[in-house]
Amino acid sequence: MGDHRLNRRELLKRGAVGAAGIAGLGMLGDLDVSRALAAAPVAAGGIDPMLVAAAKKEGKINLITLPRTWADYGEIMDTFSKNYGISITDDIPEGSSSQEIQAIQNFKGQSRGPDALDVSLAWAINGAQAGLFTPYKVATWDTIPDNMKDPTGKGLYVGDYYGVVAFLAVNSIVKQAPKDWSDLKSPKLKGMVALGDDPRKAGEAFAAVFAASLANGGSLDNIEPGINFFADLKKSGNFVLAQALNGNIAKGITPVAIRWDYLLLAARDEYASNQAMTVNIPTSGRYAGPYFQAISKYAPNPNAAKLWEEYLYSDAGQLFWLKGYTHPARFADLAKRNVIPQALLDKLPPPDAYKNLHFATGAQITAAQAVLTAQWGPKVAGS
Amino acid sequence: MAQAVSQESPTAVARPLHPRAKGLARWHSVADWLPVVPFFLFFSVFLLLPTVWLVIGAFQTDSGSFTTSNVRGLFDSDILDAYKTSLEISLASALTGGIFGFFVAYAMIRGNPPRWIRPVLSTFAGVAANFAGIPLAFAFAATLGTTGVLTVFLKSHGIDLYQSGFTLYSFTGLVVVYTYFQMPLMLLIISPSIDGLRREWSEAATNLGASTSQYWRWVGLPVLWPSILGAMVLLFGSAFAAYATAYALVGSEFNLVPLLIGRNVESDFIGNPQQANALAFGMIVIIGVVMLIYTVLQRRSSRWAR
Amino acid sequence: MKHGLLRNPWNLLWLVLAALYFLVPLYGTAEFSLETTPGHHGFDAYQAVLGQSQFWSTFSLSLEIAGCTVVISLLLMLPTVFWVHLKLPRLRPVLDVIAVLPFVVPPVTLAVGILRLFEAGGAQTSGIGNVFIGQPSNWLLSGSIFNLPPGIQLLALAYVILALPFTYRALDAGMRAIDLRTLSEAAQSLGSGWLKVLLWIILPNLRSAMLSAAFLTLTLVMGEYTMASLMLLNTFPIYMFQIGNEQAYQAAALAVISLLLTWIALLGVLVLGRTTNDREVRIGGAH
Repeated sequence: MGDHRLNRRELLKRGAVGAAGIAGLGMLGDLDVSRALAAAPVAAGGIDPMLVAAAKKEGKINLITLPRTWADYGEIMDTFSKNYGISITDDIPEGSSSQEIQAIQNFKGQSRGPDALDVSLAWAINGAQAGLFTPYKVATWDTIPDNMKDPTGKGLYVGDYYGVVAFLAVNSIVKQAPKDWSDLKSPKLKGMVALGDDPRKAGEAFAAVFAASLANGGSLDNIEPGINFFADLKKSGNFVLAQALNGNIAKGITPVAIRWDYLLLAARDEYASNQAMTVNIPTSGRYAGPYFQAISKYAPNPNAAKLWEEYLYSDAGQLFWLKGYTHPARFADLAKRNVIPQALLDKLPPPDAYKNLHFATGAQITAAQAVLTAQWGPKVAGS
Repeated sequence: MAQAVSQESPTAVARPLHPRAKGLARWHSVADWLPVVPFFLFFSVFLLLPTVWLVIGAFQTDSGSFTTSNVRGLFDSDILDAYKTSLEISLASALTGGIFGFFVAYAMIRGNPPRWIRPVLSTFAGVAANFAGIPLAFAFAATLGTTGVLTVFLKSHGIDLYQSGFTLYSFTGLVVVYTYFQMPLMLLIISPSIDGLRREWSEAATNLGASTSQYWRWVGLPVLWPSILGAMVLLFGSAFAAYATAYALVGSEFNLVPLLIGRNVESDFIGNPQQANALAFGMIVIIGVVMLIYTVLQRRSSRWAR
Repeated sequence: MKHGLLRNPWNLLWLVLAALYFLVPLYGTAEFSLETTPGHHGFDAYQAVLGQSQFWSTFSLSLEIAGCTVVISLLLMLPTVFWVHLKLPRLRPVLDVIAVLPFVVPPVTLAVGILRLFEAGGAQTSGIGNVFIGQPSNWLLSGSIFNLPPGIQLLALAYVILALPFTYRALDAGMRAIDLRTLSEAAQSLGSGWLKVLLWIILPNLRSAMLSAAFLTLTLVMGEYTMASLMLLNTFPIYMFQIGNEQAYQAAALAVISLLLTWIALLGVLVLGRTTNDREVRIGGAH
């Protein structure tokens, strides 16, 4: 993988057909977008009807750690359930990736164990090495970029979507929404800036530190400038160590939040009638982080799990993820085939915002994590 | 433990037992133990075994071989610091919660308030004692945070909390928040002991001419002292293990042992489960010592309970 | 007694302080939960919360688990405490220590330990091992009793341990308060067996203690997150955590609602506990 630079324009360019074809889908309202997505053709090649029948026979699927407001998972789960008549159990929606792996281990051979996972890269690699996954290649496998696939080529895990670290500002409190990392240092933002979680623990906060590093002279092999950036921000009083959860944002406790773009954009929409918010992708230091799908080797409902993956990687599933403001794995393919509704494209941030993205490899993440865990406490948390 | 005297039924010891009866007596004594077997079995399986498993895990490497490195690692400066901060917070909140809770309990029981106060306060205490985590952190942030109702209210009356350096995300702030579930816990635990403070004693003391402070010095406190201390020990334990509230409030700022454990077992990155085991083992040792003190105090105080 | 409080103004002060300390943070939450559009107030957030089926399903799941925990606790503890008080007083100190041990072990460890234990047990798929260890383990992990959701029995058993310090204290104090020995010997001399003595003589006198135990168990179950999450059961605290993370106004509304609901439930327990001679229910761990 390596320091792979992807941007939306390049992805769009890879499809030969230009914008002309996209306009063909017409201008649709938001409700129409949902309806269109729900009715969208399931996959370029269609899903194997035998699989559908086997999955329906199982009748249920155990999912885990999928918050409803994360990447539009709520709508995805509801639509999947309705379309195939498969009832979904979503365990511990706010759990972390480690809990997903633990759940597989704790519930081996039990009917309550998880079927399919959505995990961070570190745990995808770990789970694969521990032999906890069943390899599976979805029908649309070939349209998924190589850097989103498990490097052994077996298909033990596959990238589902990625987001980019972004800023959110509550308009009533912050007159000038920060557009870049240096804006965060403004004295007007005293006591306002927060991460979503502890970077030693949560992928999104870790990504924020990495992004800060990229913007301040660091690289994917050097996260220290990022740690120093936050240390300075803490010293100046701008950075608070509260969690930038939706409640805290809306209440004005953490009016400037640094989280994944899709989380912030969803929050902006959700609270539009209560508190106007502005979301910006920083002009420098753009770090992208994918999550990965995997099927448990001990899945009590393996066919339902496979169908779930097929659905997620079908046009319909991918477009729902896009609606949730993430960049789905097959974005380039969807754009190339002009299946993205214009209304949806209009709602997304401008393509320029997604130029110069940086994706770290598993090895780079592990190394950076070690540095962060050692230095974050003493330098930033002051302990 | 005055009540612990074992009194045999009067008929048992009178005459020497017939040999057949002796056998029956032995069977009888085995049968005596049978009814408590289910409990002990349950307890062994559901508490002892997992604890033993944890302790063993604290001394194992990834591959399962014996090592003391995890436990020795507990003496790293940042981990020792975590234990120190955890101990400080637990001690502080046990004191604040304990003292506050004691006085409120006393006022509720001995202060002759209207009859409805005790049930309302006790039930509310039951709820508040478990009101922890994000809701509690948010409640205080919504009250004492930078945009909190109380902060704003005080500011409009000329008192700027944050200007004077106060912040909710500090040691003080955490203690203030912890007290929210410590105080009710104290109230619930100490109430029966205050009930046991017989009215006759205070009346007798007054009759003999004692002042309030003399009463407390020579009757009240000596009787209640072990219970109060014992209750505060429980409060200490509850604060020491508290995770959700600390995480929601100061998750990435403070070095607390439960947060360290959480970082190793509930994370998007590969933590160190052996270290988590060792950390938990350390917690067990500390709380074990504290609980030992509690049981000793407990024995002394039950002299006075009903 | 209306002016009783004023006799010693300190008592009044402490009660007022307690009321303020409890209520002001809740006011902060409630005020936020009533915000709709800027400058307006309304119950939108409350309607949204109460309209979600997940609210009701997780709340009832937690109530079911609490019920199971109370039943198992009482079934286990009543005979034990009764027997120890009557026949095995030497075990009293042992029980005192045991009752305090659950505080010592972190809930994470407990839950993982229990899960791994029964998962290993469930792997015994052959012969006698299967019958005595394998099947029961599998049932504990994934089976369901009385059509209740699967797997709650294991969590209930774990909660019995967590609640042990409180239930034991309550039952122990209750049994100490009644003259156990006289009552049982009287009943026995009239021809009752032990079971009858326990059921018909002792239990009715322990109503207040049992309710106190139920009270504390209920609050514990409604507030416990870690073990439920490890056992993959979507209980009410897990739902609250989810809303707390994902939502803003609804989270505040949910906090207020859950507080009120639990409080009303506890008041209900209290009312149920009023005996005919209006003896107060002793709430809280007794010494």
